[in-house]
Amino acid sequence: MSTPLVLESAEALATAVKKGERSAADVTRAFLAQADRTAPSLGTYLHRLSDSALRDAEAIDRRRAKGETLGALAGVPVALKDNICVRGVPTTCGSKILEGYRPPYDAHVVERLRAADAVIVGKTNCDEFAMGSSTENSAFQVTRNPWNLDCVPGGSSGGSAATVAACEAPLSLGSDTGGSVRQPAAFCGVYGLKPTYGAVSRYGLVAFASSLDQIGPFARSARDTALIQSAICGRDARDTTSRGDARPISLDALERDLTGFRLGVPRSILEEAGEGLAPSIRAAFEGAISAYERAGAKIVDVALPHARYAIATYYLIAPAEASSNLARYDGVRYGLRHPDGDLREMYEATRGAGFGREVKRRILLGTYALSSGYYDAYYLRAQKVRTLIRKDFLDALAVSDSLLLPITPTPAFKIGEKTEDPLAMYLNDIFSIPASLAGVPALSFPVSFDASGLPIGLQLVGRPFDEETMLRVARAYEREHDAASRAPAIAVAGGGGAR
Amino acid sequence: MPIDVTVVRKIAALARLRIEPSEEERYARELGGILGFVEQLQALDVSGIEPTSQVTEGARPALRADVVCPSDVRDEALQGAPERDGDYFKVPQVV
Amino acid sequence: MNKPAMATDAMRAKYEPVIGLEVHAQLKTNTKIFCPCATTFGAAANTQVCPVCLGLPGVLPVLNERAVEFAVMTGLAVGATIHPRSIFARKNYFYPDLPKGYQISQYDRPLCEGGAVDIHVGGEKKRIGLVRIHLEEDAGKSLHPEGKEGVSTTRVDLNRAGVPLIEIVSEPDIRSGEEAYHYLTKLKQIVVYLDVCDGNMEEGSLRCDANVSVRPRGQAAFGTKTEIKNLNSFRYVEKAIAYEIDRQIALIESGGRVVQETLLWDSARNVAETMRSKEEAHDYRYFPEPDLLPVDLEASWVDVLRKTLPELPDALRERLVREQGIPDYDAEVLTETRALAAYYEEVATRSGHAKLASNWIMTEVNAVRNKTGDTIESFPIRADRLGDLVAMVANGRVSGTIAKKVFELMLTSADGPEALVQKHGLLPIEDDAALRDLALEVLAANPGPAAEFRAGKERTFAFLVGQAMKQSRGRAHPEKLQAALRAVLAEEPA
Repeated sequence: MSTPLVLESAEALATAVKKGERSAADVTRAFLAQADRTAPSLGTYLHRLSDSALRDAEAIDRRRAKGETLGALAGVPVALKDNICVRGVPTTCGSKILEGYRPPYDAHVVERLRAADAVIVGKTNCDEFAMGSSTENSAFQVTRNPWNLDCVPGGSSGGSAATVAACEAPLSLGSDTGGSVRQPAAFCGVYGLKPTYGAVSRYGLVAFASSLDQIGPFARSARDTALIQSAICGRDARDTTSRGDARPISLDALERDLTGFRLGVPRSILEEAGEGLAPSIRAAFEGAISAYERAGAKIVDVALPHARYAIATYYLIAPAEASSNLARYDGVRYGLRHPDGDLREMYEATRGAGFGREVKRRILLGTYALSSGYYDAYYLRAQKVRTLIRKDFLDALAVSDSLLLPITPTPAFKIGEKTEDPLAMYLNDIFSIPASLAGVPALSFPVSFDASGLPIGLQLVGRPFDEETMLRVARAYEREHDAASRAPAIAVAGGGGAR
Repeated sequence: MPIDVTVVRKIAALARLRIEPSEEERYARELGGILGFVEQLQALDVSGIEPTSQVTEGARPALRADVVCPSDVRDEALQGAPERDGDYFKVPQVV
Repeated sequence: MNKPAMATDAMRAKYEPVIGLEVHAQLKTNTKIFCPCATTFGAAANTQVCPVCLGLPGVLPVLNERAVEFAVMTGLAVGATIHPRSIFARKNYFYPDLPKGYQISQYDRPLCEGGAVDIHVGGEKKRIGLVRIHLEEDAGKSLHPEGKEGVSTTRVDLNRAGVPLIEIVSEPDIRSGEEAYHYLTKLKQIVVYLDVCDGNMEEGSLRCDANVSVRPRGQAAFGTKTEIKNLNSFRYVEKAIAYEIDRQIALIESGGRVVQETLLWDSARNVAETMRSKEEAHDYRYFPEPDLLPVDLEASWVDVLRKTLPELPDALRERLVREQGIPDYDAEVLTETRALAAYYEEVATRSGHAKLASNWIMTEVNAVRNKTGDTIESFPIRADRLGDLVAMVANGRVSGTIAKKVFELMLTSADGPEALVQKHGLLPIEDDAALRDLALEVLAANPGPAAEFRAGKERTFAFLVGQAMKQSRGRAHPEKLQAALRAVLAEEPA
């Protein structure tokens, strides 16, 4: 029995399209059909682009017919988190305040994907302005975990993670500010890469916290992750914080074995999670360490002494930047306006009605942290602690080649389970936030499943602009284990996990 | 760090956010909880530590040449405005 | 609102005013500070906009190199310290013409600090210190059309949003409205010399806010200050400061206390009024702009700018005094703009008569320009032609009177002065016989004065010369005419 098309890798699909063995239109149609079937129950999309996707795919086929050489993602469907701008296409960031907004320009990553001949199939659901870790903060809909529809897909890029897990698209992009790509990747059993800060241009990514935001890909294999990361990375003159150091990743390099490789393990950070760390995660973590030892890697104990301060640091820096970034939603030039009295009343009514609770909470927190008299004690101090956290990572990565640590304390939780207590929700970010503050790259990769069948992921952290090494380490695990190649029942018509 | 509703009102005004009176207590409690949690940073000695505003460092300052490049977004931008008056964005009177 | 009681001279004598100015100068770049939109003044509404300056979601600023260059040049010109690293910061506040809800400015790490500007007031030189010069972006324009009470709306044009500005903050070294006027004039002169700002206050390319306080003479501590805004011309600045000094003195003298507040200058009524506002006290929540890297300047780059800086007004003025030997006052007038000074230098060189050249420009040229509003660049007589005319005056080819006639003709003609003299029969009468005839004619027509002169009344000679000159319509060669007159007078009357 041949593999259903939607379970094939992006790499295989692109190769087939380039060779003319498959048409981009057929590939696109297959994924659109899959999404027609599964997206309504999963709630993965806020806006689908089926018509334009098919048109784009047909255009790609015509170009191939004319003898043009196609790009690395030829005919491969890609879904985008709804905080990435596509000209003329609704971009809401999951917020009522941007309902109906259509950006008049394309994000840098959109230009790059199109240049690689990818096909953009839609805008995925997310937590409002990427604030949240369950996608329950979307103003529009709930997204469900393809492995268990009662569970959250994680967040904030829950739609992008779930759509790849459910094989509605082989690839997608999300954004990661404090773990918003890596955590949902783990919950959904897919790869999620947070590139080095500066590796991918933020031009066209609606800002949450500017010094932390990075666009990152979701995929179902290490090689596919490398393929799309290579397509979107690199310097962009419109984002002065982007860097030319980010270079395409060699797929061949991912196949090198781990002999002599030094894997850093910061065990102390596990203790920070304490009781909150699920035994299944701990077991997966220890299991992965053993697997790497068997594969020839040297395990190195490293310390991240300031990582315990990461959550407190993050929840000052990110809301502070967000409070400023979200000031532009004022009802003057785009999006929602709540007509109400004079200018000031209009501002307050518009923003009061347009933002959800979590966003308001973070705007209030950030406004407070920056306000006169508190700046030094909160924001400035947090930035200094950030310096210490970054140094911890650079020190640890000087004696090791990558770090291995958990990404989530538990597998996916139930919808509605954790939305009441914001602080409890924030504490779940203990493993993802430190690398965000340090600006170093981090990869969430699927390693196993818990007893209930929910995926478990772990995290690799690498040196700045060395995404390749992390992917090579993940690829080594992937070769020996089948976690990455399994698909949830919903993805396979007729049910049953497929290989 | 105890936060009372007066503080919530003051910050909300600064952030131009309408908070319903019935919600003020809850925001005060939640913000108080988060600010209590971040108090742990006060225990760290950060003297002599440079703050990190962003992590892109060592890059040459990326400056732009002073060359005009017209944009074609004007009509789309004006069409997307909640209210416009001809070629202007229109807002309620200031004050 | 009643005009507040004003101070008397006796009251004024007891207080020392303390004034600091914040000047915003729009930089003459082609494009905005953070995006490649044009900065042309007066374009149709919202035509010079792009996603970046509209503050659309997802956009990022990219710093314009020339804006940095212009700001650094200004800093160098006033002797400021140019910091090798400066940092942009966000200044957060809500206003419809501020698209992002924050202004990208500089806060605790400005581009330039220190420096000073020298002014001349009442013949005395005075140094006004500078606190800082920093770069920031301009806001758009909010237009408030007159409407019925309660129904008016505001229209927003974002063409100006993102135009580069430098803010120049002075030390509180200014002591009067007049000093403020001279300081502004000098500052404008400097930025115009540098060609970094067009200095046009009407178009808003130079804007000024004044901080004013008074303190009893001899007291070291500052009094409470007020801030005056809406100062749209240098004269308004001068008037508003004088007004506010008086108001504060009178208030204190009558037992009142100055309240820290922002005032708006009403130039129609010559009063400063408290700004009506429902705003709470400002809390701008400055923090480093995470979307921009620190501005790191290489010393070599700054050095190149330093070396290629154009000659500044003070240096030029001193040089003109030194090289041309003209009075300091002349040099001040002639260095008003770099172009005027260049014009003068060419006229002086070509004519070979520095002072005469200066006189001609300060009187004849400037009188015409005052009437027509011409800049020296648009003035119809170029320096070479004026230089030739001045030379003709200097070497006696024409008299002053004829020269003025030629000058008038030159305003509407492209011809040189010599050609005009020929064409219009304005050649001097130098021929001895012709002059003798003229002298005889004048003496015959004025027998009385001629007799008086002969009787020893030397004073009458000037009258006779004047009459003869008039008769010749100014064409008579002055010395030769005098010689001819004396010769005829020495003869026995016929």
